[in-house]
Amino acid sequence: MRSSALALALAAALAAGAAAAAGPEGRAWAPADPAHRWSFPRDHHAHREYRNEWWYLTGTLEDAAAPGRRLGYQVTFFRVGLVRDPPALDSAWATGGAVMAHLAITDPGAGTHRFAEVLWRDVPMLGGFGAEGDPVLAWAVAPPGTAGRWALTLGADGAFAVSARDDAQGIALELVARPERPVVLQGPNGYSRKAAAPGHASLYYSFTRMATSGAVTLDGRARAVRGTSWMDREMGSSQLAPAQVGWDWFALRLADGRDLMLYALRRADGTVDFRRATLLTPDGAVRWLEADAWRAEPLGRWRSAATGAEYPSGWTVTVPSAGIRLTVRPELDAAENVSSRVPGLAYWEGPVRLTGPDGRAAGEGYVELTGYGARARPPI
Amino acid sequence: MRAYLARAVGRELRAGKALFLLSVAGVALGVGAVLSIQILNGSALGAFAGTVRAVSGDADLSVLGWTGALDEALFPEVLAVRGVAAARPLWRADAVVEGRPGASLELVGADLLGAARGPSALPPAALEGALGTPGWVAVTPAWAEEMGWREGDRIDVSLGSRRARLVVGARVDFQAAAPLASRRLALMDIGQAQGLLGTRGRIHQIDVRAAPGVAPGALAERLSAALGERARVATPEQRTVEAGGLLSAFRLNLTALSLVSVLVGGFLVYASVRASLARRREELGMLRAVGATRAQVLGLVLGEAALLGILGTAAGVPLGWLAAQANVGAVSGTVRNLYLLEGIDRVALTPALVALGAATGLAGALAGALWPALDAARADPRALLASIAVEEGAGARAGRLLAAGLAALAAGLAVYALAGERLAAAGFAPAVGILVAVPLATPALLRGMGRAGLPHRLGIAYGLRSLGGRLSASAPAAGALAVAVAMLAGVTVMVGSFRDTVERWLDATLRADVYVTTPSWRRARSEATLAPEVLATLRAYPGARSVDVLRQHTGYTADGRRVQVSGVDAAVPGADGRVALVAGDAGEAMRALRERGAVLVSEPLARKAGLAPGGALALRGREGPVRFPVAGVYRDYGAEGGAVLMDLEAYARAFGPGAPSNAALTLAPGDDPERAVAALRAALPGAALQIRSNRTLRGEVLAIFEQTFAVTRLLEAMGLVIAAAGVTLSLLVLARDRRAELALYRALGASRGQLFRVFLGRGLAVGGAGLVLGLAGGGALAVVLVRAVNPAFFGWTLGISVPLRALALEALAILAAAAAASLYPALAASRTPAQELSRDAL
Repeated sequence: MRSSALALALAAALAAGAAAAAGPEGRAWAPADPAHRWSFPRDHHAHREYRNEWWYLTGTLEDAAAPGRRLGYQVTFFRVGLVRDPPALDSAWATGGAVMAHLAITDPGAGTHRFAEVLWRDVPMLGGFGAEGDPVLAWAVAPPGTAGRWALTLGADGAFAVSARDDAQGIALELVARPERPVVLQGPNGYSRKAAAPGHASLYYSFTRMATSGAVTLDGRARAVRGTSWMDREMGSSQLAPAQVGWDWFALRLADGRDLMLYALRRADGTVDFRRATLLTPDGAVRWLEADAWRAEPLGRWRSAATGAEYPSGWTVTVPSAGIRLTVRPELDAAENVSSRVPGLAYWEGPVRLTGPDGRAAGEGYVELTGYGARARPPI
Repeated sequence: MRAYLARAVGRELRAGKALFLLSVAGVALGVGAVLSIQILNGSALGAFAGTVRAVSGDADLSVLGWTGALDEALFPEVLAVRGVAAARPLWRADAVVEGRPGASLELVGADLLGAARGPSALPPAALEGALGTPGWVAVTPAWAEEMGWREGDRIDVSLGSRRARLVVGARVDFQAAAPLASRRLALMDIGQAQGLLGTRGRIHQIDVRAAPGVAPGALAERLSAALGERARVATPEQRTVEAGGLLSAFRLNLTALSLVSVLVGGFLVYASVRASLARRREELGMLRAVGATRAQVLGLVLGEAALLGILGTAAGVPLGWLAAQANVGAVSGTVRNLYLLEGIDRVALTPALVALGAATGLAGALAGALWPALDAARADPRALLASIAVEEGAGARAGRLLAAGLAALAAGLAVYALAGERLAAAGFAPAVGILVAVPLATPALLRGMGRAGLPHRLGIAYGLRSLGGRLSASAPAAGALAVAVAMLAGVTVMVGSFRDTVERWLDATLRADVYVTTPSWRRARSEATLAPEVLATLRAYPGARSVDVLRQHTGYTADGRRVQVSGVDAAVPGADGRVALVAGDAGEAMRALRERGAVLVSEPLARKAGLAPGGALALRGREGPVRFPVAGVYRDYGAEGGAVLMDLEAYARAFGPGAPSNAALTLAPGDDPERAVAALRAALPGAALQIRSNRTLRGEVLAIFEQTFAVTRLLEAMGLVIAAAGVTLSLLVLARDRRAELALYRALGASRGQLFRVFLGRGLAVGGAGLVLGLAGGGALAVVLVRAVNPAFFGWTLGISVPLRALALEALAILAAAAAASLYPALAASRTPAQELSRDAL
């Protein structure tokens, strides 16, 4: 599920929101197709018939020179469609959408969480999305004040390379993430429903384990790193239902080799409107879990000084039928991303550690929490 | 004593009500004239600064092109410079609204998608329309209301020969952040603006915000280093200062003119105070005799003057405001069309301007009163009490005043002779000398008129000649009038000479028969281009013997001078007739343009930059400075800052390819230009064009010329009204002071009609004296304005031509005004009863 609402938050911030799914004069955006014929690597590339899509990498890394020194990272490229058929104009600025990218590096040891972002018109001068055959899946000119570009590319060997830097923040990363497990479709045929009512859905697949290596720059100092990443890829035109304000999302890699993805969409009063999960076993078997098959109970709260938003912090996650009972703890509480380019866009995204009932380490992962706080822009 | 002084002021005011009101009116007009000009000047700059603020918001720097536009490929380069926190590309041009004469939109094409904040932030719901609805534009609520536009309304606009249909998509109140910003500002997405009305790859500005902790100055240097010669970097303040520099000569001239009104007003105060003191000599003498100090007497008189100044200011401030309102159209037109800056939408009366008005009024009144006040305070009480006439002193003084006036004139000329070459403002020194000498010569002239001997009958002629004996009252009035007339005549001759020169220049250089440009050209210049199909149609017109085209942009010399740069086809037959060279052979010069890539420079530029044929001029090109040989200096009265003319090929090499904005057709001999105009209009129905015959264009050029001088004329009129008030005032003084004398006349049998005629004669004498001296001074002033001030400030050489008809009409008007101004005093005087006869008068 991921950040559908994130992108929609952008859309809401910039435009009328999902209600106006069609451009004023053009065709309507295509709804997510339950019968989509999956084909890779074609489907790694942009699908411009959908209003929004994103490439979402999160991971935990270890400093090669200082074993035990852990870092979390997030790099996301969003394609935000505003007008499906913009007027034909003889101008390099003509576009119907935007490219947005987020970069965050969390250093639990130092207690820091750095966030950088870009937001450009989707034009060849500033950023965009490669067509099939182009190794570049998504790219954007670096933030103002920084030379170069941010990019996500797909190598011939199937590995994904990501690079992004922001000199003003003193952060950069240059990583290669090689899938260790095949693509997982999140939901039947990758059709991921987001509400009980029909039509609210996306096409969604993931790489849950990717061997990752490269370099991360923090405070202007580069260090070699290696670790494991998770990549989510999602596209659609109308994910959230009107009553939903945000969601909690978990991407967990269990020490026993299983991978667990959970999402819960919340209403304004904090109750859960719709939730689903996917459990992947090392042998490649996938189980899609209905709402009654799992639970995620918050253990505490963390209040952001920057936005005043109060996020849940720490959960007990149970999947009784799979014998899973985990305690999920953020590696750093203050892992909130606050956009300065899209007013009101703020969310929590950070690395978490898993412990089992016996208190022993049981894995790691990433959690994303959106739609918290009075000032957070409603996703739709 | 203090209480007495206060009461004395009150009594004096009541006694000389008409006198006092006239002086107040004089001060008020002076204050009004100065204030209105300062309001307009301030508003012109305020409009520019406000528009910069409304468009650029909190941008620290703007990256601008040297050649009127900017290559958009620079945008990513700007983004990459360290210390840049945000950069906004802007496309800008003024489009004309079709079917609404004079209406335009100052279009700002901004990146609405990348700018969620800042001045281009839209209501969230608007973005989809801005990107998806063809022609979507946001206009200011003020302009929408004025034009009667509602959301969803379609607006047909044109830029160059291109037309586009815009749709009012939203209202954005640019003026909320900057009240003086242009209400014509309109916001579009940059892709739509450039795609519908502009040229691919071409933008105009990149606004930059510096990262926290980065000094804008340091960032400007880094940006300049990164962009090199391809762009310039300026702060909003620098841009406003630059605009101020463009307008400086225009503003200075208006200011100087308005100060003359204060001078005239000051004379009025002088006359009135002088008269009041003359009447109260005895009273002041008594006061001094019973122990009043000199300071107290001085205070009494100056207190009265201060009150006069305050009242005059109170009336003058609203007057100035109204005058500014009345003239905002003319000044705005000049600023928009001649200087290509923002028009003035609103005039703002700031506290500083009110303070300036008050200072002008008070200073004028006090300065006018100071001399007579000092005189009265200095005098011995016995002298004040003795009833010898003031006139004797005044008469003796006339010669000295004349000498002083001549000395002032000589000083003015000396300053100019010494500093005229180096300091532009030195050109004003002889003008000031003349304006000082003219009133100072008045007493001598009036005395001279008196020496002609008195006629034996009481009548107009008696009045005319007897004035020489009433100098203290009549000389200031005549002097004030003379100053006003000098100004009027001087400016009339200057404007007449200017107009005559321009007409001759147009005759010499407007040689083609049909001129083609676009409605938006006057403001948008290099953006208002003719489409290739329009040019093709013009070239294919069967009656055209040759077609000449023009490209033009506002560029810069390598040393930063802002000049108008034009490219023409130097190979077109008859090209040499298009320019009037100051010296040398035009055919030769055109060949140099064609073969050597040389340029011609306009006379103002040659003068200001010290250029001469054989020299070289470096202009900012697309990639850096380009040096051109100078082949000649040509006359030009269109661009005050200077103009450069070159061949189109050289133009394209230095400034890049592009379409021309103007074309001129020469028809076969005998062809009717008006018929060709009609035929071309019919052949190009879809394009936004202005196709005009030579004759029509000439008329329009002269109309713009007249508009530029509209304010000048208003100031002249204000000066004249003040001066006419002065005539009334001086005659009232005479009628009052000389009641005893008049009574004697009456006792001796003079009829009322005779006294009336005597006063009418005196009024005409004041008018005539003012006129004679004024015309003499005006002639001299015209020479100074044409020969010294104009070349120094504008760089134009004008031939002097005297518009006799206009001057004769003005002279008649002045005499009529003087006669009219005399009517009331003459009536008052004729009513003096014989009983007023007193022993003193005998």
